Amino acid sequence: MESELITLEIDGQSVSVPAGTTILEAAKTAGIDIPNLCYLKELGPYGACGVCVVEVEKCPKMLRACSAKVAPGMVVHTKSEKALATRKLALELLMGDHDGDCQGPCKLNCPAHTDCQKYVKEIAEGRFADAVATVKETFPLPAAIGRVCPHPCEKACRRNLVEAPISIAQLKYFAADQVRKDGNEHPIKVAAPTGKKVGIIGGGPAGLTAAFKLAQWGHDVTVYDQMPEMGGMLRYGIPEYRLPKAILKAETDAIAALGVQFINNFKIGRDADFAKFRSWFDAVIVANGAWKSTSMRVKGEELQGVWGGIDFLRAVVTGEKPEIGERVAIVGGGNTAMDACRTAVRVGAKEVFVVYRRTRKEMPAEDIEITEAEEEGVKFKFLCAPDEILGKDGKVCGMRLQVMELGEPDERGRRKPVPVPGKFEEIELDSVIAAIGQRNDPEGFADLPQTPKGTIAADEGNFATTLPGVFACGDTVNKGAGIAIGAIAQANEAALAVNAYLRGGEYKPVKPILSERNLTEKDFADRPRIARAVMPQRPAEERRHDFKEVNLGLSPEAAQAEAKRCLECGCHDFEDCKLIRYANLVQADTQRLRGAFHPGFTEQKLVTIERNQRKCILCNLCVRVCAEQAKQGLLGLVGRGFKTVIKPEFKDPAATAVCKDCRLCAENCPTGALRIV
Amino acid sequence: MDRAVIESDPHSLIEGMLIAAYAIGASKAFVYVRAEYPLAIVRLEKALADAKAHNLLGENILGSGFSCDIRIKAGAGAFVCGEETALIESLEGNRGMPRLKPPFPAEKGYTQAPSNINNVETFANVAWIILNGGAAFAAMGTETSKGTKVFALTGKIKRGGLVEIPMGLTLRDVIFGIGGGIRDGGTFKAVQMGGPSGGCIPEHLLDTKIDYKALGATGAIMGSGGMVVMDSHTCMVNMARFFLDFTAKESCGKCVHCRIGTKRMHEILTRITEGKGKEGDVELLQDLCNGIKAGALCGLGQTAPNPVLTTIRYFRDEYDAHIREARCPAHECAALKKYEIDPAKCKGCTMCAKKCPVGAISGELKKPHVIDPAKCIKCGQCVATCKFGAVAVK
Repeated sequence: MESELITLEIDGQSVSVPAGTTILEAAKTAGIDIPNLCYLKELGPYGACGVCVVEVEKCPKMLRACSAKVAPGMVVHTKSEKALATRKLALELLMGDHDGDCQGPCKLNCPAHTDCQKYVKEIAEGRFADAVATVKETFPLPAAIGRVCPHPCEKACRRNLVEAPISIAQLKYFAADQVRKDGNEHPIKVAAPTGKKVGIIGGGPAGLTAAFKLAQWGHDVTVYDQMPEMGGMLRYGIPEYRLPKAILKAETDAIAALGVQFINNFKIGRDADFAKFRSWFDAVIVANGAWKSTSMRVKGEELQGVWGGIDFLRAVVTGEKPEIGERVAIVGGGNTAMDACRTAVRVGAKEVFVVYRRTRKEMPAEDIEITEAEEEGVKFKFLCAPDEILGKDGKVCGMRLQVMELGEPDERGRRKPVPVPGKFEEIELDSVIAAIGQRNDPEGFADLPQTPKGTIAADEGNFATTLPGVFACGDTVNKGAGIAIGAIAQANEAALAVNAYLRGGEYKPVKPILSERNLTEKDFADRPRIARAVMPQRPAEERRHDFKEVNLGLSPEAAQAEAKRCLECGCHDFEDCKLIRYANLVQADTQRLRGAFHPGFTEQKLVTIERNQRKCILCNLCVRVCAEQAKQGLLGLVGRGFKTVIKPEFKDPAATAVCKDCRLCAENCPTGALRIV
Repeated sequence: MDRAVIESDPHSLIEGMLIAAYAIGASKAFVYVRAEYPLAIVRLEKALADAKAHNLLGENILGSGFSCDIRIKAGAGAFVCGEETALIESLEGNRGMPRLKPPFPAEKGYTQAPSNINNVETFANVAWIILNGGAAFAAMGTETSKGTKVFALTGKIKRGGLVEIPMGLTLRDVIFGIGGGIRDGGTFKAVQMGGPSGGCIPEHLLDTKIDYKALGATGAIMGSGGMVVMDSHTCMVNMARFFLDFTAKESCGKCVHCRIGTKRMHEILTRITEGKGKEGDVELLQDLCNGIKAGALCGLGQTAPNPVLTTIRYFRDEYDAHIREARCPAHECAALKKYEIDPAKCKGCTMCAKKCPVGAISGELKKPHVIDPAKCIKCGQCVATCKFGAVAVK
């Protein structure tokens, strides 16, 4: 018998469904998705999550759409203020009691949110080509960036709380090197041509990343660069012994292979003015970097033999053989200073000093770089600041140093160096290299608005400038020079913005709502300690005489062992998690209702199912599918109220023995509480 | 009071249930009673056996052709099993968790069969109404609430106990008339009506009539008929915390709003009573209360916020004093108590110093003593010990 049809109104739409249908199923027929976490059509309503609440006109109480049946003439509002507030509260309560990491701290701390955990796992499993493809979802230069990145990912790595972080950066370039060697990189898919032309100024990490992305989306991209080769600072600022040019070239060639055109030796202002350049393209990205050395602002800076750090490095790369003499001082404590001092050693200087205002502890350079410089014979003069560069016949002959001491901590907590009155020191020198910073060159870009710092002003979210179709990113914008992966992060956003712009829309990034755990050493006290991989290196005595790469790279065995140390913090279910999807949908505040977490731990009791009670939201779906669909009834609720957890019934080993491993429980879990291992 | 009815007049319950069973044609009936009430169970068992012996129960009752059996189900005492569908689940041998309504028990109840479920007090009234007629019952009470109701009058009252009153009496009639007013010369502050999920009614509403509508308007409920009288030494925030501690622990854990929401409310109330409350906590509580009322699956969750909502409504100043001044106006919250010795009253007898379990009191013999607030654990021993009333709680 045909059942009677009932007509009702849901969110203003008229809906006709058979009598006995629930509001939730009726809404589905009208294409209205009412969020729910504990509902499964086959099992019928349960009513625990309270997320599917809707308001029905003339009904004083909120109804659960999963169970309330339709009635003729019913007027349902699934998104009324009250329904949304009640739904949001349920999700905020759940998020406040959800002790899980949506994403690993490594990924979150990477400015570009590279999926470190994913490629580390792929390396652990020996799937190196997959790992490279994973990195290339974010940027095109895994071998280069793996070698030069100061890896904020590793600083955030939870393995720090056990013994030492995963060597994420080294693993990344291991995979890239291996795949290049094996010649088995996955081809990159390029969409059908859109007919839109994009011009990018600057072939560094930012420009190349944007080009890589835009080309994949079918746009016709041309990258212009003032230097003879692509790579930007990676090529002209990073010494060969850290990043061999051939490796970088292979990665830039792969970008060109996607159809991106490279035009070198082209400079805005010299070869075309910016307005004219714009007219050639549908959209433009300015990513011309920060190529001017910051001055020390001391007397004697005009003397012959005074170099800017990046200028010196570039001269060496381009084969200019700069004359720096035998005694050289590098001013500064960052990575550029380390590159400059170690390069100075390699071009033949007998005595190389690094002059730094604070102590070793405060040096911004990577610790490994400082250690390697020391091994190569570089001497450090801490607590010294240049006071005057001394000259004879217009050439550097020495430097007077003001002796400093550490004073009060500044706003970043670093103790501020202050001069010790009247205390000076002099050293004899043939040249001075000032590696204290770099800035952009706004010449040729007068059309673009500038920040008070002189950088190009761009939107912090989508990197649009005030000129339509002109975007700017990387070291040339806003806060100025930073690390390569930071420029890449901006380039990814700029590329999304350009893509949207070319399609007639606008890109506005939204910060996703995520669940994050706050852990300490105590939480990992029971973890076995496993030593971090040691990167094999050439001995200092050998390497200081040439520019061949210092690091020899990890073997596949060492890399896999290292990758297996990963704690896999990020949730396996992040992509499919209904909880986080709905939390984002209602813009839930995850912290507002934070309190004590419900009890529980992770255990593997049933064959292949790992159960993390701390992520469980007690939707009871696993209990119900096990009882009603698998006809096993191996799971049950234990305890009452806030302390309720789901466990295999009565901890009975016999119960686990009869589990058929049908995995219905894990498949139906709306969060990452159940995992198939 | 349901227990009192079973213990003292079990046949009134049996008779009422049989009449109801006869009316709807039921052949099976259950009395769901907490296992912690053994006297009630023993007496009910005897009454059932006696009724059976007289053929007032069982097969072919008094030759009428009607058969009905009543069985006792001893429950484990979960508060939520007072909720009708959770009770039915428990009766069926399942975990005591409420079901979604509809379907209501009258449609699908015990083992999915249509079921009538009522309180002991309700059934106990049936025989009287049949004997005396509905009009006689309705003659008592108010327009909207008829008959009588039993209350468990307790707290800071001179004469406590179970009282049965016609609906429509005022709270003042019951508390000051029947109860004789506040004991130990205290002053009335509030009365908690309706059990742990009831509401708190202040002094200025004492003339409220006891009927469903009027009580509901105050934010309280008739509920279980609990009537806990409080004097000026009761902290209203602490009182709300106490009831939320109960409801949070008694939540079955099924629905999110109740399971996590009551826990969070209890956490916030606890921090307020400890002087760690934050500006905005009251608003957060109100937000939670309203959301939980709207979202909770059963009556337990829907009414659990009542003590919080009513104390905020009538005693907001007490919340603010805790949060803004770290002060408990009723001097009840231990963490906010300050013990001080009045040097004018202290004789230097050293008794308090000897009694103090943590050595927080020092002073020379016959000279005023002092309490070190850093060491004091606010146990109150010194107050109890001092013969001169020199220790003041602030």
